Amino acid sequence: MTPTAERAPGQGYPAPWLIPAVAVLATFYAVPVLDVTRLAFSDATLIQPASGFSTVALRSILTDPALPQVLGTTLVFVAVNVAVLQLAGLAIALLIVRGERRELPGMAAFRTLVLAAWVVPGIANGLIWGMLFDEAPYGTLNSLLAYAGLGPVAWLSDPQMALVSAVIANVWQGTAFSMIVFYAARRGIDPVLYEVAELDAAGPWRTFRSITLPLMRRAIAVNSVLVSVQTLNTFDSILALTGGGPGRATEVLSLFTFNTVFYNLDLAGGSVLAVLLFAIGMGLTILIGWLGRDRT
Amino acid sequence: MKTCILAATLVAAPALASAQELVTRSRVGLPDAPNTLTFRLTSYDLYSSDPATREAFEGLFSAFIRARPGWKIETQLQTGNIGQEQARLLQQTQAGRGPDCAMIDSSQLALFKDTGVLQPMNAVFSDEDVADLFPYVREAVTDDAGNVLAWWWFTDLRVLYRDTSIVPEAPQTWHEVKAAALAAVEQGREGILFNGGRWEGTSFDWLANFWAQGGELTDESGAPVFAEGDNREKFLNAVAYYQNLVESGAAPRRITSITDYDAFNAAAAAGSAAMFVGGNWQYGQLRNTLPEDTFAIWEVSELPGPTPDQRATGTGGWTIAALSDDPEKAALCGEIAKEIYAGPGNAAQGLLPTSQPIYDRYDAYDGPEYDLFVEALENGVARPGAAIYPEISNQIQILLGDVLSGSAEPEAALDAAASAVQSAYERQ
Repeated sequence: MTPTAERAPGQGYPAPWLIPAVAVLATFYAVPVLDVTRLAFSDATLIQPASGFSTVALRSILTDPALPQVLGTTLVFVAVNVAVLQLAGLAIALLIVRGERRELPGMAAFRTLVLAAWVVPGIANGLIWGMLFDEAPYGTLNSLLAYAGLGPVAWLSDPQMALVSAVIANVWQGTAFSMIVFYAARRGIDPVLYEVAELDAAGPWRTFRSITLPLMRRAIAVNSVLVSVQTLNTFDSILALTGGGPGRATEVLSLFTFNTVFYNLDLAGGSVLAVLLFAIGMGLTILIGWLGRDRT
Repeated sequence: MKTCILAATLVAAPALASAQELVTRSRVGLPDAPNTLTFRLTSYDLYSSDPATREAFEGLFSAFIRARPGWKIETQLQTGNIGQEQARLLQQTQAGRGPDCAMIDSSQLALFKDTGVLQPMNAVFSDEDVADLFPYVREAVTDDAGNVLAWWWFTDLRVLYRDTSIVPEAPQTWHEVKAAALAAVEQGREGILFNGGRWEGTSFDWLANFWAQGGELTDESGAPVFAEGDNREKFLNAVAYYQNLVESGAAPRRITSITDYDAFNAAAAAGSAAMFVGGNWQYGQLRNTLPEDTFAIWEVSELPGPTPDQRATGTGGWTIAALSDDPEKAALCGEIAKEIYAGPGNAAQGLLPTSQPIYDRYDAYDGPEYDLFVEALENGVARPGAAIYPEISNQIQILLGDVLSGSAEPEAALDAAASAVQSAYERQ
């Protein structure tokens, strides 16, 4: 008797099984996106509802002299964050795995400690770092630097340094997420591969380059997408830390969108920016997905 | 004696327990009361982090609701992000999902009036009550037909605080401020602090320097005019005043990162600053937090102007307004404003009342500082009641941040701000 492969429930006829997922996505994601798109082509404000189709907000926002600066700040903020979050998350995940393999005490506590930053709300994160970066003569970090004969550093009052400070605050909070993704991926790699590498006398770097990195490529791609989109949407911690200042030095696209709606009361303009934010997020997702595709 | 104290405690215990039950984190009154009023308030009074203030308001609310056993008040807290909160409140009200009664920032009141969401509270406030209000307050809370659409229950203003051990005489002009601040820097202090970060306090505090010269942000129709004609020169003068303070070292560069008034209290407590531009309410905070001898060296004076005769100070504060079209709820909202906040609520916090009779009624206003505050209020200027104001403020914050951090020249920054405001105005 020839054994036959068991057929999965949806195999051959996936549509009925996909309907619930598509319905949920359509209700909670597609409808709001379509509604925001509708508002982007209207004259709606927070005071007046839309009276009809209009491209005034679209033209006005896209020709706003502030937009290039905001996009530039966003690009730097996202790029630096994504790179640092990936590296820091990967380094910590590998450190924990190595520690666990050697049965070092306190690894669970270390993991929990890293995760603790992740559960801090964005606003609280901004406030915490705001206190640390305080440039008053009694400010925390500058006082510590002074003990070492360094500083003071204009953490928040210098436009360039303020962006660096915003990145530091975001990295402190976001590293835990990358760490979880990489930790799970690293634990999923068959230990036999590492045993074989050890038998072949492969060094740590060779093992990392030939086993860990290739087998974690999919996790790195997924994490890149998630971290990019998360960072792109970050505004609460920046709002609490710098409010986007000095001037527009730390005003990223999501904060610009928020300000357009809640300062200008410009719902249509804010919707244009929201659509732009969505398009950039989607573009990044597709690009990273394509770069990280399985070429085998 | 001990027996008497114990007996008194036992007798008072049920009353205290009952008072506690009447005020919870989200409700005032008994949970099964048949009528409900929803009230959106700030976190500075009934839910204040200051125990004395909280206790005073719990007592006022408890007495209020005991006199109205058929009602309970469901409370909703606003966050400190005024712009966002008020925009959300307006949007919810227009969609029919707003609270029955709410605190509205005085700077946003005109916007709420223009949209027609405020319901008259004429049944509660008499003509005499309205006549007693300061003129700018009366004009703001009533409409052309004389309806009382809100009750502005306290006002505030900006003043100059100084450490008299470093700056004995109150500076009267911008030039004197700079000289005094530079002298303080030589003694190892920060000369003068003011808000310079990206938030409403920065633009509002700075605007006093523009208004002192007679500058106007908007015309009568609400159109922005701050960068036109004479206003342009006055605007640039006021920017140059701040820029000069920073570039000379009279003010530290860190002011572009200051986004709250608490930073000034901290500097006063640490003895690191000689002067700061703060709100009148900080006087009470300093009195409560500084050691007596430290507090004694701090004094307040009117904000200096370009000349001793040119003075202005920004006046703000909060109003209470009815958003429900149910006359009973609108009346109850007015009664909350009248019986809890305007008067006893002012006195409990030392907040400036909006009518002279309240100053006369409470001993809390006997201190000499209140004489100064009332005097300074004569030069008080309220933010324009125009829908474009929030964006003007936003652009001033950006402009000041750019200029004071050395990223932009005042003229170019003003042109950019004017252009952005005009563009936003045309879309409103």
